[in-house]
Amino acid sequence: MNLLSNVVNFLNNYLYYIGAFGLVFIGLCIILIKRNLIKVIIGLSILDTGVNLFLISVGYISKGTAPIFSKPGLDSALMVDPVPQALVLTAIVIGVAVLALALSLAIRLYHHYGTLNLRKIKEQRW
Amino acid sequence: MVNPVLLIVVPLGLAFALPLFGLISKKIIKFIPVVAFIFNLVISSLLIPRVLDHPIIVSIGGFPPPFYINLVAGPVGILFSTLIALAGLLVSIYALGYIKEGPEEKYHILYLLLLTGATGVVLTGDIFNLFVFFEIVCISSYSLVAYMGDKAGIESAVKYLIQGSVGSSFLLIGIGLLYGLFGTLNMADIAQNITSISPLSVFVPLVLIITGLGVEAAIFPLNSWLPDAHSSAPSSISAILSGIAIEVGLYAVVRVIFTIFGGSSNIFMFLLFLGILTLLIGEMSAFSQSNIKRMLAYSSIGQIGLIVFAFGIATSHAVTGGLFQLVSHTLAKALLFLAAGYMIHRTGSMDISTFEGIGKRMPFTSLAFTVGAFSIVGLPPFVGFFSKFLIIKSALAKQDVLFIVLVGLVLLGTVIEGAYFFRVVQVLYFKGEKVNPVRKEAPIIALIPMFILVALVIGIGLYHRFITIILNSAALELLNRVEYIRSVLG
Repeated sequence: MNLLSNVVNFLNNYLYYIGAFGLVFIGLCIILIKRNLIKVIIGLSILDTGVNLFLISVGYISKGTAPIFSKPGLDSALMVDPVPQALVLTAIVIGVAVLALALSLAIRLYHHYGTLNLRKIKEQRW
Repeated sequence: MVNPVLLIVVPLGLAFALPLFGLISKKIIKFIPVVAFIFNLVISSLLIPRVLDHPIIVSIGGFPPPFYINLVAGPVGILFSTLIALAGLLVSIYALGYIKEGPEEKYHILYLLLLTGATGVVLTGDIFNLFVFFEIVCISSYSLVAYMGDKAGIESAVKYLIQGSVGSSFLLIGIGLLYGLFGTLNMADIAQNITSISPLSVFVPLVLIITGLGVEAAIFPLNSWLPDAHSSAPSSISAILSGIAIEVGLYAVVRVIFTIFGGSSNIFMFLLFLGILTLLIGEMSAFSQSNIKRMLAYSSIGQIGLIVFAFGIATSHAVTGGLFQLVSHTLAKALLFLAAGYMIHRTGSMDISTFEGIGKRMPFTSLAFTVGAFSIVGLPPFVGFFSKFLIIKSALAKQDVLFIVLVGLVLLGTVIEGAYFFRVVQVLYFKGEKVNPVRKEAPIIALIPMFILVALVIGIGLYHRFITIILNSAALELLNRVEYIRSVLG
């Protein structure tokens, strides 16, 4: 019983981190294992999402509010840290740019080789 | 009073205004990078005497420290921004004649962005800002590697992009962990509080950040993208990637280890071995290449290894030597890539054996290549000799058996380096038929930057006193982190 409550407590505190790092590892595994370039790019996207979720959860407070003093009597200890959210906004934009570039390169690669299988594209000693 | 923020704002603004200039006339767009980097070079040189006195801190947004996003224009920052502006200016003059095909407008925009990002990385005092500028460098170099749109370029760009963005994700996780631990993104503020937390919990972000930055800095196990990317890009871009992009990555690694984490002797030992490993692997791979650009790219890896080794020794002489080696590598490697660009253009092949007799057909370009090669190998009186000499002298000054063995390995690397560079020089001048072939020199607009670089390589080699002043105070800024924290936080 004690063990169970410990586990529940642990999950309560660290669930967001477990989820975020789970996504990071899934993304890494896809990048390392998959042979199709599109799948590798999907892996990159999942990796990015994991990193963004991790950043958000660094500043998250359960049942917190936005850090704006709109109503009198708001407790500043219950406000969510806004800095990680600003960081994530920037990181999402960068991620979109990288993703768009990767997909357009994938199109050009397909034009040249007629395949997206990375094991078959070996001119530069991949 | 010149504000260092202009070093970032002006090229960035010109990069985005460039399509508008294109509406007026298609001919002027290629001169805009030249204008931007003349401006940067002038501003940076004006700032040098002032930053030698005390670093200039610029707060953006007007918040008090440590909540602001700041630029720290210390000796290190201004040394690098001068170097970036100089290399950027010379390569953009070279590109006036060299870039003739493809979407030229986009080339110039991306080129400006790449160097703006690099200037931002070296000047910023905020670790997330460093990440953002770093991404600007990375994304523009991915697209510039693929600029020609040929098979090799696209393939290398894809490879570079995948490895680079995994690296950036690691960097971002590391920054997130640091923010979670300290609640601040200001580098000086993190550095001030780093000892208040157990070394074990600081170790994880350190590893993640070094791994992330190490991809761009081409430190040994993370550098498999480099030979492909540097050899498939247009030669003017190879010069910038080899001369500026990896140096900036290395700057970030050094800044993180020295200033933020205040490196312990274990980390320095790790750097020493990483450096030696990178050096030997780079030089041995370069030795077995028959493609000239791949050879130069592998030689860059070797040089990076030597610089990492110098920073691993971590005495003030060694750090000065490392920074000096960085400067001399930028000048010499840019020179080599620029000279190789027109040799490849004339012969139509990257194979070293097709360069027979080039020494007679293109005497000036061959001379420039030879000077660059001698400087990289470290022959006196070229600049490479003094930087290598300083590193080896400071390693021997440690008076430790380990360092003597490591210096032996560095010298072995230099011997290998000499072997493959002299082989190329021999092919240029002493191989091929004896009859005098038709002279067809590189155009004058390409020879001007090459000869300015030759003059710098020899000139700084002969009169290295005036550069040692700024190098010494830059080394002091890196080693004396208490002073850095004090000057930023007041």
